[in-house]
Amino acid sequence: MVLGVEGMYLTKEEERILGGEDGWAKAKALEVIVKVGESLGAERLVNIEHAHISGVSYRNIGKHGEELIKSFADSGVRFSVKATVNPIGFDLEDPSSIPYATIDESYVGHQYNILTSLKAMGADLTLSCTPYYFPQVTSIKEGASVAWGESNAVLYANTVLGLRTNREGGPISLMAAITGKTYYYGLHLEENRVPRVEYVLDNKNNMDEADYGVLGEVIASIHEGINPPYLDISLDEISLREFLAALGAAGNLAMVYINGVTRGRVKKGELKKEMIYRKEIEDRREELGVKERPDLIYFGCPHAGVEDLRVIALQLKATKKKFDGKIVVTTSRGTIARLGKETIGILRSHGVRLIGDTCLVVSPFGYKGLRIATNSYKSLYYLSKRGIKVSLLSIRELRDVIEGW
Amino acid sequence: MVAFKGRALVKGFAEGKAVVVDEISFYGDVDPETGMLFDGRSLRDRILVSYKPRGSTVGSYIIYALKMNGASPKAIIMSSSEPIIVAGCVLSGIPLVDGISVEDLKTIKDGDLIVVKEGLVLVNE
Repeated sequence: MVLGVEGMYLTKEEERILGGEDGWAKAKALEVIVKVGESLGAERLVNIEHAHISGVSYRNIGKHGEELIKSFADSGVRFSVKATVNPIGFDLEDPSSIPYATIDESYVGHQYNILTSLKAMGADLTLSCTPYYFPQVTSIKEGASVAWGESNAVLYANTVLGLRTNREGGPISLMAAITGKTYYYGLHLEENRVPRVEYVLDNKNNMDEADYGVLGEVIASIHEGINPPYLDISLDEISLREFLAALGAAGNLAMVYINGVTRGRVKKGELKKEMIYRKEIEDRREELGVKERPDLIYFGCPHAGVEDLRVIALQLKATKKKFDGKIVVTTSRGTIARLGKETIGILRSHGVRLIGDTCLVVSPFGYKGLRIATNSYKSLYYLSKRGIKVSLLSIRELRDVIEGW
Repeated sequence: MVAFKGRALVKGFAEGKAVVVDEISFYGDVDPETGMLFDGRSLRDRILVSYKPRGSTVGSYIIYALKMNGASPKAIIMSSSEPIIVAGCVLSGIPLVDGISVEDLKTIKDGDLIVVKEGLVLVNE
């Protein structure tokens, strides 16, 4: 190790890359990582095993983002590690499949350019915010450092998979993919992964995924610091994902410690205890509940897994109604490919619109005053900002609403 | 003349008039085509002084867009920087200084002549 010019310890190899021996693109990418690390006070860099790249939607990054990514790709640089990619603004197989959205040809063209550049550098175009459902990710060994963008995925990585990552915003996950490194900081350090505060729920019976979303909002508003909050809760996969996504949307947390799910050290005797009352969750849930007939029901933020679609199909099986695209589910191509025939059959025969590669949050979906109901606190959080009237509806409540539809 | 010593995260030399924005988010507060701020002032060729930067995912690309459009500030000075802004400045080669207290930054007014020499900030030299 040699002392870097700016005070961060850099290896000889890192100095060599910064000096441009592997080309300007890798030098520039490493410079971004080093400078961001320095600004945060990181002592050194850490090698990563995987990157999940966010900030790839043309709607989000615009033509200059497109040009910047292209300039890196045109240099001939290749990713140093395997990398998956977040959703884009439309379904690649059918750009017109998102209701209440206009996708013009120019938009599609620009988005394709971005994907072409990413592919040229070696990206795996998963176009999903749930990289943790892909075998190339679940096979990464526990304890490894990665660099992920997309807050829900970051929470899942740290909490469930035992991977180590901070919330890498903007182009940083891309720069990390190019260099195979990120700054050694935050949740890459063991001491920051140890919980200090336990939140005790006075009554945790019979909570659904929308209740857990509200719990995420509550914890995000009271928890301080980077160390994960500790929770002794038992929840299914759908609730777990919605809970983590809500925490990521409503606050800055990148990890929680859930007893029985999260692996790692915890000194239970030293945990400071804080109470959360179910009444508070119920009141908030009531406030966010469905009060008017929604124009659309939405599931799949974050992208629905196989289990979500199976449970939704089970709910619909009991009715003969057809919904003519008024129930929308967004998911990944990977999940669509793994769906059982029966599930697909029920969804199709009931007119459920299954959309891949995108979601209602990253697409130019909706207009002010449109009413939607969803089981996702995260999408409620973001779509409400656009003036869309969003209410919370869990999958198990679906039948109550559709009977009167 | 007043001089402040900060940390040069992106090294460089720049000279220009100050534009002071207490809290800035590059996404939403700035037009990337023109460098115009939401309040009608311009960042173009100025030295941006900001007390509190807010990072949004697209911020780095907006900074890069400002540079490509010739509408960027000549340098950015802030009390504490934020990853998205650091990344944007590195990618665009815009000198960036942090580590100067908000108290010191508040003595800088719009239109003051600023010279940035690496970590050194000279006001009305």
